Amino acid sequence: MQQNNSFSSMMALFFRFSKLNLKSALEYKFDRFFLAFAVFCREMVSIIVMYLILTRLIRIKGWEMNEMFFLYSFLFLSYSLFIFLFTGIRDFDNMVYSGELDRYLIRPLGLMYQIVASRVDYCATIGHGVVGIILFMKTATNVGIDWSFKNITYYIAALVGGAIIQASLFMISSCFSFWAVKTVNLRNLIFFNSRRFAGYPISFYPGIIQKMLIFIVPFAFVSYFPAQFFLRKPDLSMFWSGYLYMTPVVGVIMFVVVYRFWLFGLKHYSSTGNSMF
Amino acid sequence: MRKYLEIAKKSFQNNIVYRIDYFAGVINTLLMIFVNIAIWKAIYEEEEVLGGVQFKVVMTYIILGFLMQSIFMMEEYLIESKITSGLISSDLLKPLSFRLNIFSYNIGTLAFRIIMQLTPALIVSIVLFKLLPPFNLQSGILFCISAILGYLVLYSINFIVWLSSFWFYWTFSIITIKDAVISIMSGALFPLWFLPEWLHTFTKLTPFESIYFVPISIYLGLLPYDEIIFGIVKQVIWLALLMIAGHVVWKMATKKLVVQGG
Repeated sequence: MQQNNSFSSMMALFFRFSKLNLKSALEYKFDRFFLAFAVFCREMVSIIVMYLILTRLIRIKGWEMNEMFFLYSFLFLSYSLFIFLFTGIRDFDNMVYSGELDRYLIRPLGLMYQIVASRVDYCATIGHGVVGIILFMKTATNVGIDWSFKNITYYIAALVGGAIIQASLFMISSCFSFWAVKTVNLRNLIFFNSRRFAGYPISFYPGIIQKMLIFIVPFAFVSYFPAQFFLRKPDLSMFWSGYLYMTPVVGVIMFVVVYRFWLFGLKHYSSTGNSMF
Repeated sequence: MRKYLEIAKKSFQNNIVYRIDYFAGVINTLLMIFVNIAIWKAIYEEEEVLGGVQFKVVMTYIILGFLMQSIFMMEEYLIESKITSGLISSDLLKPLSFRLNIFSYNIGTLAFRIIMQLTPALIVSIVLFKLLPPFNLQSGILFCISAILGYLVLYSINFIVWLSSFWFYWTFSIITIKDAVISIMSGALFPLWFLPEWLHTFTKLTPFESIYFVPISIYLGLLPYDEIIFGIVKQVIWLALLMIAGHVVWKMATKKLVVQGG
């Protein structure tokens, strides 16, 4: 069979996949809408807690409410972007156990392309995205940011970088599923807790948690440093100023390293033997 | 009685099997406490006393809140999985009360959490985070009674929500929304006096306050004696109302049950 991998045909296929995904999501309209709403509610809890505390206090360690919410908006928007692009990586463990991965392996297309293109969890994308957009709209114009071309470029780069960092974190855990080691619970624990911590400026935390959020689970580059690029609060002096520009770099480096490891794991993959689909 | 004890024992043993989950659970609780204390320290940095309450007291509140949450976790999808798999039909045929069956299963998990998770987490909290002891002996005892009632109130609310799986194929959404509401209104994450006045008054009219806020306030000695008694009586009344509601919903649910094969 003739393999046609030109860019335009890949894009056409991508849109076809997206259309099918959207159709299958809209099959159960009420259910999907309700699910997106549930995700929205769950994510609003931490925002409401922050709001309640800050209405009493005006500011914490020099951070005002709008500035904290601006920082938080990075987490939601980049997560939303990550889910939109990499739902397949989030659900990768499941694909291996159910045997669905085998189906992808025998198709004449790149595996990573199929994982990116073939699945989108619209409910999570919308649930998180709406929280992010609400926070961004509320804060973008009143924390003193000049939305110049340079700043907009940086903002987009930071969002994409943040999404790639989170994708790499999920991919590390998916690597283990090639050796039939289940790490989903551990992954969710580490990922979602770190994410919760990163909702507050990392300068609030003791040194060990700061180091963890910079070097081990680098959520500091998803929220704190991008927000500080715009806000320049005085507690930035605790950290090397070069970190401000590192978000995309950290993202790309992590992704390349993890992708190598992932390909190595793929070589050792042997099917679980039966496909449920 | 013996049969139900046996179910509780089984669920206790079930929990032991997943050792990594167990250690992760303990570490998770401690990490959450550690980080939340750091946040509250930052909040209290500018003022020693907020709303008439000292930092030490709020810190104890937060620690207790997380410790209680860690043992109050329940098997949220037990009934749903029984219905989708069709196992419920054989459960209903057994000479056991289905509701007591589910309850004893959760009690087994609770016992596991108290013995295996709470004990180490409590020791670390006392040594490392300087958890204050109860205000006095009396409030310590009343705290235990109130905490048990809090668990039962939470269980009764949960049970009604779980029964929704008789009508809906998927209960993830409704359970997630319930969790969001409870975590704000019950005072699990922060002391309820941080709520705006009108909302705080509103939570007093709901059963949610009975779950975490009442027991912890009793522990801290923040309530005068007559308000403690009032709080506990309110817990009992809510528990009774919720049990009646649960009974009604259960009767409706069993009439409705449709099993697709099994």
